[in-house]
Amino acid sequence: MIHMTALAAFIPYNTLVVAAGVAAVGCAAGVIGTFGVLRKRALVGDAAAHATLVGVASALLLTGQRDLAILLVGGLISAMVAIAFLVLIRKFTRTRDDAAIAIVLSVSFGIGITFISGMVSRGIPGSGGLERFLLGHTASLTAHDATLLGAVSAISVLCVVVGLKEATMVAFDPDFATAAGWPAATIDFVLVALVAVMVVVGLPAAGAVLVTALVVIPPAVARQWTERIVPMLVIAGAVGLISALSGVMISSLAVQLPTGPIVVLVATSFLIFSVFLAPCRGIVWRTRSACVFPSDSYDGNDTGTTADTVTERKS
Amino acid sequence: MVENDSASKMHVDAPMLEWHDLTVAYGRRPVLWNVDFEIPKPCLFGIIGPNGAGKSTLLKASLDLVQRAGGSVRFWGQPLAQVRSRIAYVPQRETVDWDFPVTVMDVVRMGATSKLGWFQRGGKRERELALSSLDRVGLADCSNRQIGKLSGGQQQRVFLARALAREAEIYLLDEPMAGVDAGSQEQIFNILVNLRDQGKLIVAVHHDIRTAVEWFDAVALIDMRLVAAGPTAEILTPENLAMTYSGRLSVLDEIGEAVERGGRTS
Amino acid sequence: MIALIADSGITLWFDRVGPLHGWAIATAVAVSACCAVVGTLLVVRRMSLLGDAISHAVLPGLVVAVLLGAQPGGVGVLLGATVAAMSTIWFTRFLFRHAGLWEDASVGVAFTTLFAAGVLLITVSGSRVDLDPGCVLYGILELVPFDTVSLYGWDIPRAFVSALSVLVLVILGVWCTWRWQVFTAFDTDAAKAAGIPVGGVTCGLLVGVSLATVTGFVAVGAILVVAMLVVPAAAAERLVHRLHHAIWLAVLFAVVGAFGGYLLAWRYSTSAAGMMAVVLGVEYLVAILIAPDDGVAARLVSKVVYLWRVQCEDRLASLWRAEESRQLVQEGGFAGLVTSWLCVSGQLRKEKNVFVLTPQGRVHAELIVRSHRLWETWLGKHVDLPVDHLHPPAEWIEHHLGEQVRKRIEDELGNKDIDPHGSMIPKEKP
Repeated sequence: MIHMTALAAFIPYNTLVVAAGVAAVGCAAGVIGTFGVLRKRALVGDAAAHATLVGVASALLLTGQRDLAILLVGGLISAMVAIAFLVLIRKFTRTRDDAAIAIVLSVSFGIGITFISGMVSRGIPGSGGLERFLLGHTASLTAHDATLLGAVSAISVLCVVVGLKEATMVAFDPDFATAAGWPAATIDFVLVALVAVMVVVGLPAAGAVLVTALVVIPPAVARQWTERIVPMLVIAGAVGLISALSGVMISSLAVQLPTGPIVVLVATSFLIFSVFLAPCRGIVWRTRSACVFPSDSYDGNDTGTTADTVTERKS
Repeated sequence: MVENDSASKMHVDAPMLEWHDLTVAYGRRPVLWNVDFEIPKPCLFGIIGPNGAGKSTLLKASLDLVQRAGGSVRFWGQPLAQVRSRIAYVPQRETVDWDFPVTVMDVVRMGATSKLGWFQRGGKRERELALSSLDRVGLADCSNRQIGKLSGGQQQRVFLARALAREAEIYLLDEPMAGVDAGSQEQIFNILVNLRDQGKLIVAVHHDIRTAVEWFDAVALIDMRLVAAGPTAEILTPENLAMTYSGRLSVLDEIGEAVERGGRTS
Repeated sequence: MIALIADSGITLWFDRVGPLHGWAIATAVAVSACCAVVGTLLVVRRMSLLGDAISHAVLPGLVVAVLLGAQPGGVGVLLGATVAAMSTIWFTRFLFRHAGLWEDASVGVAFTTLFAAGVLLITVSGSRVDLDPGCVLYGILELVPFDTVSLYGWDIPRAFVSALSVLVLVILGVWCTWRWQVFTAFDTDAAKAAGIPVGGVTCGLLVGVSLATVTGFVAVGAILVVAMLVVPAAAAERLVHRLHHAIWLAVLFAVVGAFGGYLLAWRYSTSAAGMMAVVLGVEYLVAILIAPDDGVAARLVSKVVYLWRVQCEDRLASLWRAEESRQLVQEGGFAGLVTSWLCVSGQLRKEKNVFVLTPQGRVHAELIVRSHRLWETWLGKHVDLPVDHLHPPAEWIEHHLGEQVRKRIEDELGNKDIDPHGSMIPKEKP
């Protein structure tokens, strides 16, 4: 208690709460992002993120409220609509997946920009503040906002923790899960929806353009350090937390800096560090051949099928 | 009362696995035509045919993994939904991301816990079940290895252990011997024989006719339709094999294409 | 002559629209045409996301070039952007190979990092770089006409000059390497085997993309340039099948998008860049709806037509069977929709409150029944089905057998006359 009050003497209470809330967001984004990345859905999250702008702007337009909760709900709706479009495009057209993501991403962002710009030029109150959702700006968060973000993040992480068995089973082998009687498609949808929630909740921290980094980079870092799913979730959460926290702290010191780029660069430095120095997978370790990397490990008495399938990825 | 008796009698006498006029289409295009056959008792049953003949599709349609365009599949006379807990599926190895951060033990535990309810992690019983399944396939000492670090034969055995952990009575395996060296194939075959001797039904999609002759009690020859099915010695005759492997019945291809278009053939 | 007309036309139009808007539109058109050309090749080669990555990544290159003294819109900036783009590709490959990162994640990491670095650089270098981070996201098309260079006595916006030069460069580049581009796009491995320098071709394409995106930057910003790269191309390939047709169509879509978007934005006082992306999106939507073979509308129509045909043919066949078994069809005078249509098309007629097959209708009905019974017989021979299972599949397939296939089935069955149920198989009428 004593050191808490000492801390409070140096840092205003508001900043502490905001820091805690945004840190929670970073942690949750890392945890949930792990499942997104394992399901190869990293860029679906990106498309959803760019689409949030439309919803945020519409929410302001329709309700006239500048309350963060309402804006974010709008953002979530448009993010889910974007994901629905991706599914429809895949189902009903022959447009390739990568092109579909690029289309949804850019067009939805364009719609968002059109809305915001139109609202600004008509002088609709509060529309100027929408710009902060582009690149993130935690300095403008209130304690109340941050508590909301923190709560949503905590609930999302709880969902994953409680449903870990189901999520892992479906993420690893949806066919086996379906055959065993589990509603794999529904569980998969819940995982995607959680990614959308994280992307929306991460808007104040990193902005629509860069929030995908919060969801993609921490799991990538974690994968360098462990081969098991629970440690991977923990490390991803930690990396996300630290990145988000750094963003908040630096942002509160230099108020004109957008938070998003800072968060991304902190996370990436973790990644570069891990790529070089992580035990067993890190480049430095591999050149010293101290450890066994997937491509060169198999039981001697077999034809090394594993080697073929893994190394062909590298060529 | 009488009706009840006859209903349960029917279940007792019902074949373990029955395909009833099964037709499967991908999109609108039929890929499997009117498969009608039943497997009455436990045995080692092989599904043989050329590439792309619909063998995997047959398994997947039996498990409701792909939609049926017509017909039905019955297990012990009942639909799949009522008996899922007594069935285990071993998918093709290539469908899985072997870089996934799970160990051998984690995967087999997935099988053991797959019968539990929502949000139930399982405890000691599931762990011991997983260990004993690993023991049965001879992988007990690899339990902490990440699955990408295994050989092809070991990966297949992990999948098998996962299926064993479900303590099922019918096992459906999709190409269990693909990409596995001869030694491991023998090992896997012995495990399957053991299962059959314990009264389980094993249905396996298989690609090699030579080993099929040695291993399976009964087979079905599939080339977009059921060419023949029954005890191995009777079915794997040169005539039947010629009919199965000599090249697609082009009529089926043409009609399939016409169905997809919604029009007529030429 | 044409030049004269074009020139006077353009002058007239400029007078009407005003030089500011005119130049802005002209720049947007040049940029979008440029992006459409390289974008089509990107989309066909499944490299759309690489285009996304490059468009984000050119920002730090641009900023560094400007900090080092290059003129915005000048050659130095183009160079800086290209270097940045190549670094992104290299970074993506690095992450994929050495971090074992999944492919889509590596792209995501690479471009967010580079973009973040760019934004930070801008914010930190403040007034030395004349770019606002927000504008980086949606461009400064409205300001383009104010930054001019003097060319032959004309004051032409710098951005337009660079956009036009890049357009010419890109068109030349694609034209000269056309065969190689097409081959590589179709089948990279075969192209490599045929001795085509696939690596060089791809590199050239990516350089073209970098140049296009950096000029697009000024017009519409980083993200909307992705729309210009991908959306017209995706719309075009729904509608045409040859690659060079696709490129022309994509350019058309892009130009319409640029024009229409700007004018709409002007009318509704909103961002030109955003509106252009919206118009492009609408074009894509329309394309997937009206595409002739696999468009949504086409498929729906085809399905409805099929269902209707099945209903009509089933009706005819059941009447024929009733005739065959000499059963009187007990039916009221009420005509359903199907029956009405059949009457109108001359296949049924009304005779004393009962519907009867006309000769034309009878011929058609016989074909259906013939198909049905032939298929039952064929199934009975080739597939191990009990006799009472033959009817349902035949009910389905009878609508899909054409004359030649019927003949082939009949020949294969040895000209059998009786189906497995013992009914006569009607003969083919000449």
